[in-house]
Amino acid sequence: MGEIIQVLISGILVGGIYALISMGLNLILGVVRIINFAHGEFLMLAMYLSFFLYSVWGLDPYVSALLVVLILFVFGLFIQRIIIQPILNTSATVKIFVTLGLSIALQNFALMLWRADFRSVHTAYQTAVINVGTVAVSIPRLIAFIVAIIVALGMYLFLNKTLVGKAIRAVAMEKRAAALMGINVKRIYLLAFAIGSAIVGLAGALLIPIYYVFPTVGTLFVLISFVVVVLGGMGSMLGAFLGGIIIGLVEAIAGVVIAPGLKEAVYFIIFILVLLFRPSGLFSLGKGSEEVGLK
Amino acid sequence: MRGLLSKKSIFLFILLIAAFALPNFLKNKFYMNIVIMVIFYAALSGSWNILAGYAGQLSLGHSIFFGLGAYTSTLLLVKMGVSPWLGIIAALIMSMAVGALIGYPAFRLKGPFFTLATLAFSEVIRYIASFWKELTNGAMGINIPFKPGLATMMFRTKEPYYFIALGMLLLIILITFFIDRSKMGSYFIAIRENEDAAEVLGIPITRYKMYSMLISSGLAALTGVFYAQYILFIEPEAVFNINFSSQIALMSIIGGMGTIFGPIVGAVLLVPLNEIMRSAFSSLNGLNFFIYGIVLIIVVSWMPNGILPTITNQVKKRGLKVSTDRKGAGKIDTAN
Repeated sequence: MGEIIQVLISGILVGGIYALISMGLNLILGVVRIINFAHGEFLMLAMYLSFFLYSVWGLDPYVSALLVVLILFVFGLFIQRIIIQPILNTSATVKIFVTLGLSIALQNFALMLWRADFRSVHTAYQTAVINVGTVAVSIPRLIAFIVAIIVALGMYLFLNKTLVGKAIRAVAMEKRAAALMGINVKRIYLLAFAIGSAIVGLAGALLIPIYYVFPTVGTLFVLISFVVVVLGGMGSMLGAFLGGIIIGLVEAIAGVVIAPGLKEAVYFIIFILVLLFRPSGLFSLGKGSEEVGLK
Repeated sequence: MRGLLSKKSIFLFILLIAAFALPNFLKNKFYMNIVIMVIFYAALSGSWNILAGYAGQLSLGHSIFFGLGAYTSTLLLVKMGVSPWLGIIAALIMSMAVGALIGYPAFRLKGPFFTLATLAFSEVIRYIASFWKELTNGAMGINIPFKPGLATMMFRTKEPYYFIALGMLLLIILITFFIDRSKMGSYFIAIRENEDAAEVLGIPITRYKMYSMLISSGLAALTGVFYAQYILFIEPEAVFNINFSSQIALMSIIGGMGTIFGPIVGAVLLVPLNEIMRSAFSSLNGLNFFIYGIVLIIVVSWMPNGILPTITNQVKKRGLKVSTDRKGAGKIDTAN
């Protein structure tokens, strides 16, 4: 019994990290309507940033998180302005291959500068756990999970209660009408892309005490976040959060029940099934996600 | 028009003769290898071009069919001693069957969602290939023991490989040519340009998407068999690789999707570029692919239709009469 609970809890906690990464991707996908294949590389850059702030200046990842988020926000602005904005009115092919090119370039930029070595930080709390009965809960993972909840709530409040948030949602729903209402669509795109990039920056900062960083670490997570976003429903923050938890749980359970080597195959099969039977996702408001990039 | 056509066919004929004569002049093994890789990539990308360039189904899982071809013939050869020449038939059947199984559900998806689904299928197959150790030897891969001979499709020199690859490429060019000129090709392009309109006009879109998938996956399997016999080592990480799939796509995109010679132009430019950068910057691991990524961003942003259509358009604009092989190309995806 204890083992089952242990598996479920670690699945949920991992799911929190997936949720955090996916919320950034989801915002970009839902608003800017672009599938950012380089999203994983944004995560990788944030992890390296966090790592170097720690190893060079001795800044604790949780302290430097604010700085990492800020830098990733600016990086997002830059990428949106320089690379994404010029291709917004082009075909799906162009959008896919430009972000794929960005992904290849960033990945190899990291390989060039920092080699393929696996790096990690060594903090005092890294292996700390809380014991609840027979179940051990890793503290860094718990922190990441709690932050994921806070970000999900914060994004919900931001998108629903503030004027800027409402403008973002308006653009996501119907950009022409939003433009007619006096919303500066380009500026909203910039903002959404930058916020999405900042969220993944936060995910990177929270991930570095738990996981290694290496140039291709992003590929590992970007595919999972595609699965999560499609599962949860595009544009839905709650969906991305729940989707992340579901995938975390599926991965943990499949690792025990089926085989550790096949756990990834299981969620990709779920992904294919969701794409086929409910392409708008489990929690989305309805039709729409299958049209991303087509408009 | 007829005069121009013949001028062009004379040019192609000379090119063909030059291709057949090349091994007599090129004795350097290093360069020969690059030429073979150019032909191999042109052929593989050409097979992708039929599905993605003509029928508009942008797959990023093309390595599935390539890999299945390589694994099918290799397993038959290593475990049962079946000649790869016969293995080609099994590889074709295997790849086309899986292509149909993937296409049947995935063709319901449109645009980027089809692309994501092909990515997911590719990952599932890679995990299965790594996991099923009894059959595939897992992530360790399979070493093909070197037994030179015509029956085993293994040779000490590069020349036979060169001619096999060339034959493969010519076959793919011919098939693409016939598709380009046939009703089927027009249907493919109609589906690519506007699926809904194509359906309204009475084109059975799912059936024609399936035709493009079967042709494309079968031809990819062919190149897979060749690759296994040439490299003599296959592993899931290499043959079912997403990056490999995007590289295949890249050749056609840079050269010109939906054109007969686009994939060849792409391969001729990119494969040597890659080799040169790899040897020039060997001390700085990653620089070659960094530049590769930047080139991809720039070319795709500024020449979304690829080099070949852009050049032929330029030439046309200047009033020079040059016949082109683009049918509807130059307008890829504008309907979206």
